[in-house]
Formats: sequence, structure tokens, C-alpha cells
Amino acid sequence: MASLGYFLILAAFVLASGAFAASIAGSRRAQRSLVDGGLGLFHTVTAIMGVLSAVIVHAFVVGDFSIKYVQRYSDASQPLFYKLASYWGGLDGSLMFWVTLLATFGSVAVYVNRERHRLLVPWVVAVISLVEMFFLFLMVIHNNPFETYLTTVPTEGAGLSPLLQNFYMAIHPPLLYLGFVGMTIPFAFGMAALATGQVDDSWLRAVRSWTMMAWLFLTVGLSLGALWAYEELGWGGYWGWDPVENAGLLPWFTATAFLHSVIVQERRGMLKVWNMALVIVTFFLTIFGTFMTRSGVVQSVHSFGENRELAWLFTGFMVTTLVLSFGLLIRRLHLLRARNELDSWISREAAFMANNWVLLFSAFFVLFATMFPTLSEAVTGERLTVAAPFFNTWLTPVGLVLLFLTGVGPLLAWRKSAISNLASQFMLPTAAGVVTAGGVVFLGVPFWASGLCFGLCGLVTMTIVQEFWQGAAVRRQSTGTDIFTALVGLFARSRRRYGGYVVHLGIVLVFLGFAGGGFEREEQVLLKPGQQVDVAPYTVRFSSLGITDDGQKQMVTAQVEAFRNGKPIGRMFPARWFFRGREGEPTTEVALRRTFADDLYIVLAGYAVENQSATLVVKVNPLVNWIWLGVGIMAMGTFIALLPERAFAFATAKVPAGAATTTMVLLLILSGFGVGLEAQHVESAQTVAVIPKTPMERELQSQIICMCGTCGRKKIGECTCPDAEKMRIELAGLVEKGMTHDQIIEHFVTKWGSQEVLASPIDKGFNRLAWLLPYAVGAIGVVAAGGLAIRWSRRPSSGGAYGANVPVDPALESRLDDELRDLD
Amino acid sequence: MSKKATRAVVSAVVVLTALIAVLWTTVSEGAQYYKHVDEVMNDPSPWYGKNMQLHGFVVDKSIEQRPDTLDYRFKIKSGDFAVTALYSGVVPDTFKDGAEVVLTGRLDASGFKAHIVTAKCPSKYEAAGPGAPAKTR
Repeated sequence: MASLGYFLILAAFVLASGAFAASIAGSRRAQRSLVDGGLGLFHTVTAIMGVLSAVIVHAFVVGDFSIKYVQRYSDASQPLFYKLASYWGGLDGSLMFWVTLLATFGSVAVYVNRERHRLLVPWVVAVISLVEMFFLFLMVIHNNPFETYLTTVPTEGAGLSPLLQNFYMAIHPPLLYLGFVGMTIPFAFGMAALATGQVDDSWLRAVRSWTMMAWLFLTVGLSLGALWAYEELGWGGYWGWDPVENAGLLPWFTATAFLHSVIVQERRGMLKVWNMALVIVTFFLTIFGTFMTRSGVVQSVHSFGENRELAWLFTGFMVTTLVLSFGLLIRRLHLLRARNELDSWISREAAFMANNWVLLFSAFFVLFATMFPTLSEAVTGERLTVAAPFFNTWLTPVGLVLLFLTGVGPLLAWRKSAISNLASQFMLPTAAGVVTAGGVVFLGVPFWASGLCFGLCGLVTMTIVQEFWQGAAVRRQSTGTDIFTALVGLFARSRRRYGGYVVHLGIVLVFLGFAGGGFEREEQVLLKPGQQVDVAPYTVRFSSLGITDDGQKQMVTAQVEAFRNGKPIGRMFPARWFFRGREGEPTTEVALRRTFADDLYIVLAGYAVENQSATLVVKVNPLVNWIWLGVGIMAMGTFIALLPERAFAFATAKVPAGAATTTMVLLLILSGFGVGLEAQHVESAQTVAVIPKTPMERELQSQIICMCGTCGRKKIGECTCPDAEKMRIELAGLVEKGMTHDQIIEHFVTKWGSQEVLASPIDKGFNRLAWLLPYAVGAIGVVAAGGLAIRWSRRPSSGGAYGANVPVDPALESRLDDELRDLD
Repeated sequence: MSKKATRAVVSAVVVLTALIAVLWTTVSEGAQYYKHVDEVMNDPSPWYGKNMQLHGFVVDKSIEQRPDTLDYRFKIKSGDFAVTALYSGVVPDTFKDGAEVVLTGRLDASGFKAHIVTAKCPSKYEAAGPGAPAKTR
């Protein structure tokens, strides 16, 4: 199998070179057959990469330890899911995975655009093939994942590090790669446009969705990495400004800039050179990110060790890319003249430009600070390092400026904003911002950074609300529908704009989370059983230390009781796990209690079995969960922007728009249910299975929930933590005593002081309301949707979506046009 | 056009220079020297009070902990020089005799006062994916 793999890599390299040569030759000589041949070769490379992936995955699944890579990153006992994740667990495999993704993306992009952008396609093929060739070359001469042991073959693998055996970690690299690789597509199209001289806006149109998609993957990938760091590494934060993290952030900045400046080019024909440069820089930064993390140029706690040869190969490739692409850009400069000039600094294009500068500055700053140790050593010979505080002091104001622009940009008109217009547009958002900032400052939040951030969040939110409101109002007047349908219609008319606003809303939530970071509190203490520590508003009391073993690992678990404002909120179980064979690197199992207000984050940092003491790090992280929620909303917004026009056809076409409203409401309800907060809980290996003896006991096991506070309210019949076990035993005892169902329920309710212990509230009295509410809301929704549907179906639909018999005010019409004219 | 272009170029240059100047001056406040024990202890007095990261190896059997607290005293060395370090807080798991560590803090005549102790990952960890920063504060 290994030799098959090696052979296929060689074949892929040869075919990619063929695709490169044939495409360029075909394009220059205008020979269709050559171009088609190149395309064929290009798709064949993709097919081969698929087979290669199958080969390595097969090797992982069957445990072919004669292949070094398989031996180093997996073992036989690993769950299947992590065997698959081992594919990208190391350098060699990630390179191959990278090429596979690139080939797949490339094939899809080329296939989709084969007719519409026929002239560009051969050059796109050539550029992507060239990038593939570079990575395949690395694999052939330097990092062959199919290298085998020449002498004795080990019988067991070394295994993937337990730290990486985590769900987020398994899917975070592929998402990040998808983002990185996705950025190659816009680059390839940009280069193709330059090479062919077809530099009108058509190449932008071809890559728009690709950039958004890549951006989405990058965003989600980055935040999953942050989530992993937060939950798994146990240092209490989510972003440490480590070079590896920064590497992913750099192209994110420039890609975000590109997504914005593209609009200016489409709308006003400006910034053409700038956009081209952004595409090039973004691509360069994705390669540079890989280089930085993989070659050991920048020392990082999780870099991959030094590798001089690889560093030189990468440097060569990067320099070539830069020289070629910027050379091409300069050669075509005369074709990229702007159609318009900036009319006024108080205009939307100016806001876009400011946004671009700020984003680019952020990228530049992060690059500078990340490379600073290397730079300072090269310049002064003295190795100086900068740490997280330096990044934070600099990027806090930058982030706030960006947030401010997010709020202001949409309020400005294109070309030039009239003063009268400005006042009416800015009134509400400014008021919202001032009120929010004033409110939180009044509550004792310091103005600088946090208070200002809250205020700006208020401003941006109001801007978005106002935009939606105005758009919907205009649309309502011209189409005569209800406000809901008008809203959906807005999305339909201009998905990118309103999808973008949803993304902005997500950004606001993320910034709320950042602002909360200013109020984090932390205590490090050494506690004996019974002692406690206060971290306002929480108190954590250490109860006991336990050591258990499940055959795969030894688990040292501290049992602590947590109180909020003096009230008990349950037991939590911070732990350390020592995996067999990797005792030197225990994993930290953080005990985490999430709420929207703050997270209680407890780490067992050390322990002494002799005197039963435990060293705990107790942190309170306010508002952290808004970050994850915000990222979710950003993803949703991007998704809306990415939807094809057809997806909205139902909302704008002949069908009465009631369908749209209902669908939207349904979607909202569904997504509301989807937001579940997950909490860590401790699996106990020595759980005594209490088998229910009577049907009533079984029923009760699913009606009473585990009160340890960290299991996410699991039913005691299903939960595996020690608390649930105790409650099961207690329940069995009560059943034995002959108590009735209601008596037992009452017993648990009195014992825990509230009905919180029940899976669902008792169906009685006031509680009926709680029971009724979802049904009531559902019923009202059905009635409303039905009523509206009847009303709309009565309306004559002859005039199409834009009711022709509604008298239209020409001023309104032009306003609508201005508001809604989209670029799609 | 040319007048406009010069104006743009000049303003860009001014802004960039200003930025770099500000960056360069603030970086000296945020930056720390990265030094090995022998480089510093060869002639320690110029380094007193300077913010730095000190790299070395924990001297065998030098780790002492005040009972029931998180106060540590230990020695780190590299080459022929060693220095006593004081630290109060949680230490990483890999912090033990012979471990390769980086301390962040300030040096004075009585020893190195660290406020961050970072232990380098064991060598076999290398290349195991974006690995674990053994970070504690």
C-alpha cells in the first residue's frame, strides 16, 4: 500500500505539471484541444488525491504500522473517529490533506465557471496546478507520508496525543485548511484575470461566493481552535496570541478587508488595484501561515520544531509567488484605472476604505509582533519577545475603531452624504450608543475599553435594526405586504447586504464577549478538604480528592461544591487524566459551568495524595459564551449571503409570501432550539449500575435530573457521574420503602429546595403556564400564519410580487432603488 | 493626477512612519529580553530590574515548596551558571527536576522573581500537531 501511495504522489506531480503546461500553451495559442487536455489532467489530479486519501485512511483504519506516519500518529485502540483525524495530525499528512482539498476546490470552481469564464479557466487551472505542484514536490522530496520502516516494523503505534483527541481539535484543522485553501481560488482567478487582461469585474463575480465561503470556514475554524484552547488546555483563556493562532488570523484580516472593498469596486469602479493586491496578500498569508507554523522560524509553544530545509523551500515559493503576482499586477496597471474618484470623505466608500486600512493595519501589526522576536534577533542580535498584553493594548483601540466603522458605514450614503440626511440617519444609533455607554458606566463599568465597547455595541445594533426597519418599511410600502414578508423580501433582494448585517450582529456579540474579558477574576489556591475560596460572585469549597482508573487512563478528580452568592449551585469535578503510556503529559479536565452571564472555570492544577490537598485555579469569565454565540450568528449571516437566488424565489415570486414568513419563523424557532449550552461533566468509571426494579422506578429515573451542576441536566438514569449514582441509590431506597410516585417526587423537591431537580415542572397550578407556553406560542403562530395565508391568497396576484396596482410614489421608488439596488 | 499622487504618497509615508515610530517605542515597554541563564549570570548587575524571559534547566533536587502554599524556590542553570528563582503560583505539570523552563520576571540581587513559569514540552511531543502550551500564570 505504501508504495502505491508513493507512486500516486509522483503521478499526481507529473500530471499537475502536465495540466500547468497544457493550459498555458492552450490559452496562448488559443487551442481548444490543449486547454481541454489540461482540464482533463487537472481533474485527474483531483481524482488521484482522492485515492491517496483513501489509501492513507485505509492504512490508519487497519493500523498499518509499517508506514511511519501511521505509526507515529495513531494506535490500535484509538476510536475510529480519531483514527480518521490522525490523517491531519502531523505535518506530512496535513500537506497531503491540503493538496486534496485544494484539488477538490479547484475542480469544483473550474467546473462551475467553465462556460461563463471560458477565457479565465485555463489560467485558473495553471495557477492552482502550480500551487499543487509545490506541495506535491514537498511531499516527494521532504515529507512523504508513505515513508515506511526499512528495518523492524513496530507492532504498536505511538498514538495521537490525548490532548488532540478532542472533538473540536479533530475538526478545527480541516476547517482552517478549508479556509486557507479556499483563498487560493480567488487568487487563481485574480491571476487569470491579470494574465489574460480580462480585468473587468467578471473575475470578482466568479470568486465572490468562494471568498465568502473560505472566510466562513476560516472564521469557524479559528473560533473552534479558541474553544478547544478554552475547554481543553485549562489556562482559562481562549486566545493567547501564539504564533500558530496568529497565522490563522492574518489571512482572516485581509480576507475581511477584501470582502468589503469588493463592494466598492462593483459599485463605484474604484480600488481595482487594491482588490487585486488584497487577493494576492491573502493568498500569500495563507502560505506564510503554514510556513510559520511548520518550519520553526518563529518559536512557538506549539510549533513543529526547526526544519531549515523546509524553511528555505517555503521561502523560495513565497518569494516567487510575490514577485510573479505583483509583477503581473504592475504590468497590467494601465488596465486597472479607477472609473471614479472619491467624491467626499463623508461617504460610504470612504468608510469602506477606512475599514480596509484598519483591517490591513491589524494584519500588519499582528505580523510585526509575531515576527518581532525573529526580527529583533536579526537586527540587534538581542532576542526580544512580546507577550499577550502588548497585543491587547494595541488591538483594543483598533478593534473599537473597527466596531465604530461597522456602525457608521451603513449609515453613510454612497458618493456624498447630505448633512440633513446624516442627522436623521445618525440620531437613533448615536442615542442608543450613548444610552448604553452611560448605563453601563453608571453601573460601575470603567469607560475606557469596556464602557466604550458596550456603547459601540449599542450603536452598531441600532444601526442594523434601523437598516432593517427602513428597508422593510420601503419594501412594505411598495409591495403592500406585511412587515415579516417585507423582511424576507429584503434578504431576497439583497442577500449579501442583509446577510452582511446579520454577520455584523454576530460581531457585536463577539465584542460583548471581548468586553467581558476585562472583568475576569482568578484565584490560585492550595486547599485542604473543607477549605474554600471566594471568587465573587462564586464560592468554591473543596470536598475531596478521588483517584479512579478506567483501564485506559488514571483519573485524579477533585470534588468541589460551588456556590453563587452563597446559594449552592452544585458539585463540580475538575480532574487530571493520565493516559497509559503518556503519564508525562496529563490532560486537564476543566470543570466548567456556563451561563450567559459568566462561566465558572475550575482547574485542578496540582494535588498531593498524602495530605489530600488540591491546588485549584478558579476563574470567573464574564460573557465568554457570547463569543461562541456571535460566531454562530456570523456563520448564519454568511450562509444567508451565500444562498443562491433560487432559494429565495418563493419569497419574491408568485407564491403568496406567507410561505416565506412561515418558513422564517420555523427557522428561527429551530435555531433557537439548536442553541444548547454544553457543559463538562465527569465520567466515573466505577459507576454502580442501579437497575430499576419496578416500572415506576424506571419512570422516575427519567423524571429526575442529576444535580451535580455540570452534567447539563442529564436524567439520573442516563448520567454517569458519581452524583447521579448517589441519587439513583437514594431513589432505589425510597422505592423499596414503598413510597408512591408523587411522594418520591415531593421528597426530591423538598430535598433540593425547588423543582429544579425535575426534568420538567410538575403539571399543576402556576406551572401549567410553563407547560402551556410553548403550545400557546405554537398555536398562535399557526393561527397567524394560516390567517395571513388566507389573506394573501385572496389578493390578486396578477401583478407579480410587486403589486402593480399599488400606487407608487416616484420619490419612494428611487429611494427604494437606492436602498435595495444590489450588486448581485 | 501627479499632484494628487504625490499627495497620496506623502501622506501614506507620513502615516506609516508615524505608526512604525509609535510601534517601535511602545514595543520596548511591552518587550522582554529572551536570555539564557549563563548569558545573564556571567555579569548579572546590568540586568537587574529588567523585564526578561530567562531560559534554563531546573537543577536536580533544587525545587522547594513552602508547606501548604504555592510558594516555590528553585534553581535553574545553563552552562556553568545557575540562579535561584522565586515563584508563587501554579506550576506546569512538566515542571520538575531537569525540566527545560522559561521564566518571565525580573532579576535582582536576591534572585530571579518569576511571575510566569513555562515548561517546554517533552521532546517526543514535537510534531504532534498544534500541541499543548504548558501555559500557566
